[in-house]
Amino acid sequence: MQVTESDQQAEQHSQRGRLIDRIVRVLFLICAVLLVAIILAVIFFIASQAYQVFFQGATLKGFFFGSFWDPSGEVSGGAPSFGAGGLILGSVITTICAMIIVVPFAIGTAVFFTEAAPQWLVRIIQPLIEVFTGIPSVVIGFLGLVTIIPLMQKISAPITGNIPTGGYGWATAIAVLVIMVIPTTLSISIDSLRAVPGSVREASLALGSTRWQMMSRAVVPACATGLGTAVVLGFTRAIGEALAVALVLGGSQIPKWPWTLAVFFQPNVNITQQIAANFQESAGTSQYAYWTLAFTLLVITLIFVTISRFLSSRSVYK
Amino acid sequence: MSLQEVAPVQAAEEVRLSALRRLTQRLAVTNSIAMGVLWLITLLVGALFIYIIVYLIVEGVSTLITPTFWGTTDAGIAPQLFNTFYILILTELILVPISLAGAIYLVEYSPQGRFIDVIHFAAETLSGVPSLVLGMFGFLAFAVYAHMGISRLAGALTLLCLNFPLALRLFEQALGSVPNDLREGALALGATKWRAIRTVVLPSATPVLITAVILTAGKIVGESAALIFTMGLFNPSNVFTLNPLIPSNTLTTWLYYLKGPGAGSTSLSSSQETAVAAGISAVLIILLLIINLSARAIGRLIQRRLTAA
Repeated sequence: MQVTESDQQAEQHSQRGRLIDRIVRVLFLICAVLLVAIILAVIFFIASQAYQVFFQGATLKGFFFGSFWDPSGEVSGGAPSFGAGGLILGSVITTICAMIIVVPFAIGTAVFFTEAAPQWLVRIIQPLIEVFTGIPSVVIGFLGLVTIIPLMQKISAPITGNIPTGGYGWATAIAVLVIMVIPTTLSISIDSLRAVPGSVREASLALGSTRWQMMSRAVVPACATGLGTAVVLGFTRAIGEALAVALVLGGSQIPKWPWTLAVFFQPNVNITQQIAANFQESAGTSQYAYWTLAFTLLVITLIFVTISRFLSSRSVYK
Repeated sequence: MSLQEVAPVQAAEEVRLSALRRLTQRLAVTNSIAMGVLWLITLLVGALFIYIIVYLIVEGVSTLITPTFWGTTDAGIAPQLFNTFYILILTELILVPISLAGAIYLVEYSPQGRFIDVIHFAAETLSGVPSLVLGMFGFLAFAVYAHMGISRLAGALTLLCLNFPLALRLFEQALGSVPNDLREGALALGATKWRAIRTVVLPSATPVLITAVILTAGKIVGESAALIFTMGLFNPSNVFTLNPLIPSNTLTTWLYYLKGPGAGSTSLSSSQETAVAAGISAVLIILLLIINLSARAIGRLIQRRLTAA
């Protein structure tokens, strides 16, 4: 009798356990699926606002290639105009110039750091990178305001004719982006270089290569896709960077054509700066225009993510 | 290569040797130049990092020691400091359970394959979305459609969206670091899966999980672009409450406002604004250093425990 009773108890106990197990499992599944729901919601919500501007006076061609951005009609005092071409150009130019500077520095440092750096240097730089990756973007923007802008103003004085707002603009934005993106690209590059097995290095050295040959002919080609991913993610970060760039751009329109070199040193615009500065106060049609900008940015980053995913799917060492 | 090209003739031997010598010399020179350039680049990047961190702290020190900086006026950051910690805790309270649950499902329950790939793809995509765009989404979804208004809750939910991918990945790594023997042992003793996770897997992953939470904390403290549309740039008069439905600013958004759109429209002079901004930068850097150091300390603790065991 005793035995069967405790058996029954045990049976009940384990039944309850199984029930809890099943409930918990469903709950956890919901949390995992929530992630997919969020990204779908982001795309859907932004798209649902973004297309509307094209039914309220903007044309596709005018939006993406026009150069006069005045969605509220305040500047001209008349009809709004939706020429976001200058904004998009601003984002593209600052991002590309920044990455041209970032890539050699980040990858050079990463290669040296993983392949040749002495232990003491690794011990200093490793925590530095970790701390630096976390520095808030507004802090870098502030740094740009108080140190880089005066510097750029001095440098550019002969080109711009010493205008009081000289120093704001693309050149400073590029410098700020470089500071922001180097840690990202650097740490991802280091991770992917570390994933290359030691046998690749040993094989190369055993064949008589110098250190530099080992790095440039064996290790870097072996993790080319990993480094490519690092660069693409750097692009993603650079084009989406908002407040730091907004602080140092300081413009409201793209300067009028024709440009000289001075265009880099005068107040200018990009996509994120205009959104950050004006989205909150905008309403109606003008707000739809900012949604369209956001959607443009979203599509660009989605393309970058797809490229990086494609690259990492082709990489041999993970 | 030159071995095959040169015929085995006596006279040619000399030529071959000198060619080889030249080759090695050239290789050695290239190597030295390349290593020199790499040294230079690395030292430049390292010096840049050190310079910026030191500069920001030094610049802020004079502000940090003025008492008004810790007060509640425009020149003080007490409300912003309170809000930053408030939003940090509120976000972690939502973020940790949800992303931990998601990670447990992916690591412990889900079979390998399609499903995990889909989730990982979604995570990568979401982590690529610029935080400003995510802030606009949060404004629309939480503040407008969910009628939360521009509030701390809307801000925390936006930060949840922003940090979900990172937290999920870190938690997955933490759970993955638990050896399989432990799970199998618990299951072999007749525990249900959930009981095995609760009593065996989670406790042994705790230190790594804490490190992961600290790392997300750093990202939440430093975030600004996602908050300017969802939490606003201003405080109501009674900011020191736990009410999640009021708008408020944080250290980062206040810094942005002081030097950006609000420059000249606060009760401070321009040089005071710069001083406060420098102080905020220093506080943020120090906070991040503390966060980073504690994550490292815990990491070392784990290592010691593992090697001692």
